Amino acid sequence: MKRWGGFAFATSGALWLLALLFAFVSPLPAAEQRFPPPEFETGHKLPITTTPGPRALAREFLDAGVLLAALGIATWLVYRRRSRRGLMALSIASVAYFGFYRQGCICAIGAVQNVALGICDPSYAIPLTVLVFFFAPLVFALFAGRVFCAGVCPHGALQDLVLIKPLKVPGWLEHGLGLIPFVFLGAGVAFAATGSAFVICRYDPFVPLFRLTGSVSLLTLGAAFIVTGMFVGRPYCRFLCPYGALLRLGSLVSKWRVRVTPDFCTQCRLCEHSCPYGAMREPVVAAAQPEPPARQRRRLAWLLVALPLLITAGALGGARLAPAAARLHPTVALVEQHLRQQKAPVTHPPMTPEALSLERAANDPDPLIASARKIRERVTLACWLFGGWVGLVIGIKLIALSLRPARTDYEPDRGACVACARCFEYCPNELVRRGIAPAGPLKTAAPELVALVEQRR
Amino acid sequence: MTNPFRHASTFLLAALTTAWIAGAFLALVCAGLVYQRITASSNDPWKSPQLLELKAQLQDAPRDEGIKSRIRDLDLKFRQRYVRRLVMGRSGGWLLLGGSIVFIAALWTVAEARRRPPLPQPDHDAGARALRHAAASRRAVGVTAGALGIGLVAIAFGLHSALDDPALAPMTAAAGVTTAPRAGPPLPPHSEFLANWPRFRGPLGGGAASSGEAPLKWDGKTGTGIVWKAPVPAPGFNSPIVWGERVFISGATAEKREIFCYDAATGQLRWQRAIEKVPGSPAESPPISEETGYAAPTMATDGRHAYAIFAHGDLAAVTFDGDVAWSKHLGVPHNPYGHATSLAIWDGKLLVQLDQGEGRPHNSRLIAIDGGTGRVLWEKPRSMASSWATPIVIETAGSPQIVTLGVPFVIGYALADGRELWRAERLDGEITPSPIFAGGRLLVIHPDNKMMAFKPEGTGDITESPLDWKAEDNIPDITSPVSNGELVFTVTSRGIVTCFDLADGKTLWEKDLQTEAHPSPVIAGNRLYVTCTNGTTIVAAAGREYQELARNELGEKVFASAAIVRGRMYVRGLKNLYCLGPATKPASP
Ligand code: SF4
Repeated sequence: MKRWGGFAFATSGALWLLALLFAFVSPLPAAEQRFPPPEFETGHKLPITTTPGPRALAREFLDAGVLLAALGIATWLVYRRRSRRGLMALSIASVAYFGFYRQGCICAIGAVQNVALGICDPSYAIPLTVLVFFFAPLVFALFAGRVFCAGVCPHGALQDLVLIKPLKVPGWLEHGLGLIPFVFLGAGVAFAATGSAFVICRYDPFVPLFRLTGSVSLLTLGAAFIVTGMFVGRPYCRFLCPYGALLRLGSLVSKWRVRVTPDFCTQCRLCEHSCPYGAMREPVVAAAQPEPPARQRRRLAWLLVALPLLITAGALGGARLAPAAARLHPTVALVEQHLRQQKAPVTHPPMTPEALSLERAANDPDPLIASARKIRERVTLACWLFGGWVGLVIGIKLIALSLRPARTDYEPDRGACVACARCFEYCPNELVRRGIAPAGPLKTAAPELVALVEQRR
Repeated sequence: MTNPFRHASTFLLAALTTAWIAGAFLALVCAGLVYQRITASSNDPWKSPQLLELKAQLQDAPRDEGIKSRIRDLDLKFRQRYVRRLVMGRSGGWLLLGGSIVFIAALWTVAEARRRPPLPQPDHDAGARALRHAAASRRAVGVTAGALGIGLVAIAFGLHSALDDPALAPMTAAAGVTTAPRAGPPLPPHSEFLANWPRFRGPLGGGAASSGEAPLKWDGKTGTGIVWKAPVPAPGFNSPIVWGERVFISGATAEKREIFCYDAATGQLRWQRAIEKVPGSPAESPPISEETGYAAPTMATDGRHAYAIFAHGDLAAVTFDGDVAWSKHLGVPHNPYGHATSLAIWDGKLLVQLDQGEGRPHNSRLIAIDGGTGRVLWEKPRSMASSWATPIVIETAGSPQIVTLGVPFVIGYALADGRELWRAERLDGEITPSPIFAGGRLLVIHPDNKMMAFKPEGTGDITESPLDWKAEDNIPDITSPVSNGELVFTVTSRGIVTCFDLADGKTLWEKDLQTEAHPSPVIAGNRLYVTCTNGTTIVAAAGREYQELARNELGEKVFASAAIVRGRMYVRGLKNLYCLGPATKPASP
């Protein structure tokens, strides 16, 4: 265990540092090598740009069909077959199709942004497949929890497949880092809604891996996630994925839920440490010295009062982010560059995209500056909302951690469980169900429970 | 604790070995790919010094097929290398993928084989632990929220947006203000442009007055022939320009840049306007040699605004009432003596020739700006270092073209879009005398060496097309020539006046004034005015023989060239601005 831990820490730590370094050295997205247009007359005729034909559309429908089928299969595998092997096979298929074949695009994680942009910009029509990719996993989550994460999402599936030796992330750390996906979701929606950038896609660490190419910094980031994912279960899904945050919310109210035991929890505790994703929750036992209820109530009351304050503080602070955030918008970025150019001119080689766009800006800067200011206004509003959202998330999280859960069984946390089916085989009842263990009396359980189980069977 | 499987299973050993081999393979492929990435950036076709050098050469010799084919070869090489890199990158990616699958599968096998089934121990602390866990989790959420807050605050305060800098982005372009394309005030008719003295050396830049009248005699000491004399509040070697009732000059020091407007009739200073807070203008002016100063370029006007450029790159347009219409900073010109090329103007288009640098790399360019709005109409890079001559605009075959000088090329550009029409490799040295256009010929001077006459015809490189003539006697180094359409006159800075026949370049006469002359000569009607640096102006007959008509003393040093409009002559001395001519008020245009 120690050896694994040391190796895990060293390699993934080094990769994270490298990724950070590259991000500073070559800011994202790194420019691919480009070729200048010919600067003197040649006989070469430039080919006419063609628009994609209907075949591409057919393929989009195929993608949507494959997604729906995969979601159906995943649900069946988790709830009916309760098969880890089946889910592994599905994961491999998903990584192959949505990952390497479709190169990570289209994907449900990024679709959040299309939907946000479509809602805020009436001139942007959301493609039908994008809608399917956004809504289908959510609808499935409302019924069956995160079956999408289980083995359909190529990002999740890839991390699930590389997990070799899961090390336990302390619960408190899990809760602390668990804020990040919600913040990232807010940021992704805010940037997309203002038409600035699709940051969720831009900083996606897995797409460059699926494409087998990309900027050095993103490739290193992808490698860092993979190596970390060999020892920490699904680091991206748990601590970054914005769509996972949405699915988490959806599955909190799902109709069916993943259960460790097919039958009845005998409290044998065999599944206690089975979940590599920190989703297993213990039954609540009374402490020897329980916290006085009055103190609990007071804390809760304070937090309830603090919630609107947190939201307000977040909104006020968020607004201050607008100047920096607006820079991700290409128009604002160009204007900023143009204005800086006036202060300290930088010469770009002639005919380079940089030189051409700066020339364009210099030719008629006023309308450009005016539109940059307009965009800035939109971004400011988005930043207000983003800040408020962050405040809300923090407040709700704190409130949730102050409520006393009522649990009598070992059961997966509805939001955190990605329905990977790993814990099932830890349950003796499951082994009985599969015919691996004899159906005789189970020694670890109390006799009355055994009786109940027998009776049910 | 010993693992019972550890020594038992050769299968496990095989898996471990496989994992090691796959790991080493992955490390190797990774190293290869990283190496390839690093070398790739040095082969970027946009940045390759080799290719950029060739392209610069091509700009200087646009017809050189040798350079073109070398560029093509190099470009092809880059493309092939790029495609090779792509292919290698892709295969590398697949190798990595394959290696990773083997590596992970092997490790997974090892891990599975070593996995120990759970054996739960009695747990009496569960309840208290749950309470501790909840508290720790709340704290962790608090810490994460704090860290997020600090990060976001750092972003908010760490990044400054140029949009918020009122000096850089004036609020005229405020949000919500729909900026309809500004047209600027209407442009006065071209006839008015020609009747005035709207730029360095008159409307056509040739130093010839449009009206034949001009004063013959004056005396700075007695005041005879001097209509008015007004002090010049700031230094500057630029020459006066005149439009209607206004005379404009500029002046500048390292600290302050100003435009002065005088009443042409009375010499009263109508207004003076400091040019300041130009977006992007450096807080400190660059050091400029005293011989050039901060306001060497002569202003220009199109009747709507008066335009001035200063040595550190500020360009400003002021209305005739002295308000700044627009201003922009063009970057500090890196000029060994200081920027001195005057502004040219034609048809409302302000032309800024910003040659700069010594050798390569340089940032020389020719910029056309809409005078009314300050909008850049086009901008063309120029592959040459600093020069000091002022461009002229000539009308040939109905479409105006700009003629510029800069070592080693005379280049003609289309005024409309800045397209290069032709170029001739004819110059060397420090190009200061400006070109003139007379009798259908361009006259350009290779300083101290030769004067060449040729027709601005043909396209592309016209270096090989024959010259009409060239003259090599008494060639000026600073001043520009002047012509009356039949003869050409030059003055060297040592004071030798020479008359050439415009038809064949033959020297007709020469006269040594034996005193320095930095102002360029001017012509009005049949009189040639040669002003010397000491303030003496020799008025000679613009004829085939030398005949001195008058010799006038201003009593003050003069470096600027005179402007002659409607019978009056405006001369900028070192300290005063003079209006010379008959005492009666000139008729208003
Ligand atoms: S199915 Fe079980 S092991 Fe898998 S995530 Fe859910 S609780 Fe964890």
